[in-house]
Amino acid sequence: MNNTPNIGTCIALSPDMKLFELIDAHPSLLSIFLRLNMALPKGDISVGEVCRRDGYSVDMFLMLCSMHLSPSYRPSSISLKKDMLEGVVGYLRASHRYYTTYMLPHVASHLDKVLEHCDSLSERVLRRFYTEYVEFLTRHFEEEERNIFSISESPDRLVSADFSMLEAPHGDIDDRTNDIASLIFKSLPEGVPTPLRCTMLEHIYMLRDDLRRHSDIEMYLLRPIVAKYQNGR
Amino acid sequence: MGKIRMLIVEPASVVAEGLVALLLRSGEVEVVASYSSLDELSQTPNVDVAILSTALSRQVEGCAQLQGIPLIGMQSSITEPDALKLFGSLLTIYSSDEEVIRAVREAVETPLEHNYAESHDLSDRERDVLVLVAKGYTNKEIASELFISPHTVISHRKNIVHKTGIRSVAGLTVYAVLNKLIDSESL
Repeated sequence: MNNTPNIGTCIALSPDMKLFELIDAHPSLLSIFLRLNMALPKGDISVGEVCRRDGYSVDMFLMLCSMHLSPSYRPSSISLKKDMLEGVVGYLRASHRYYTTYMLPHVASHLDKVLEHCDSLSERVLRRFYTEYVEFLTRHFEEEERNIFSISESPDRLVSADFSMLEAPHGDIDDRTNDIASLIFKSLPEGVPTPLRCTMLEHIYMLRDDLRRHSDIEMYLLRPIVAKYQNGR
Repeated sequence: MGKIRMLIVEPASVVAEGLVALLLRSGEVEVVASYSSLDELSQTPNVDVAILSTALSRQVEGCAQLQGIPLIGMQSSITEPDALKLFGSLLTIYSSDEEVIRAVREAVETPLEHNYAESHDLSDRERDVLVLVAKGYTNKEIASELFISPHTVISHRKNIVHKTGIRSVAGLTVYAVLNKLIDSESL
């Protein structure tokens, strides 16, 4: 069993490392705790202990951490287990909630501050673009939950799950997220304070990168697990 | 039409050999040369397109032999985003046969863009195309309106996306409004 994913230049992750050591080295992983609603422990306990405490597979948890930390990390087929299915689907559902209730409103609040300094036409078209973007994302999340994540509830759906339907929407989401960044960076009217634009851009790039990792988890973690069921392995 | 003449510069032999096999299997490509480093490139090769490891991007910038050749990046390591701008498109070891062949075809068919450091201003024709895209015209309708071929429209659209950094139709529409190419009432 490979409990210590190699994530390039980052330190190796293992069940024995202290949770604080993990977060101290990779603060971005705090968002995993937010998504899974995992309470930060009192005292210095290990990654393995906190996973056992909350009923999560430590192998799966470390894979999720590795995928968030390294865009090129791919778990080996042998390290993926069928019994990770429910945990991975649960994490992906939790990520959808994290986007819709936390990240997207957070970006929107920064966009509001930027738009205060724009003329009414720019404000109107940018606000509508962002609103339609959020609606597009929300519809995509609902479709994923209905067509893909429901596999954990029914063996029939597990057999017929088709991940190829995700590829085009994932491309569209990435394009639209990039477009927001491009418009904020290059096409805002003069007079919008740079600190507001930079803060907005920081958040939109964080969202973009997180959505990319989310797609990777679906395609390179969930899909191979589902394939094990479909292939009877 | 003859085969697409191809150069590969990839330090990882397993990746290079995989690419050569994949490209030859397509029947559309002739691999003229496959090198493990740019040092082996003594003169400008007679090729239509080149696939290079993105790990070589810093050396590519100063490589006169590659001037004028469309470049496709093979990304197998973490590369600074700026360095990736040299490449018209990117592949990874996870790219499918179809994705690789499509990238090669597109690199050949797309008019080579100028130096990336040049202005991002759109040409008059690109502005015309952008305005019609923003108004919801299809490629065929744009071609008919501007008396150009649909293929030329596609080339202009690729250039617009490249220059503006905006990929979606909705985003291009916002770009057109913000840059006063159209007024929102005309949408």
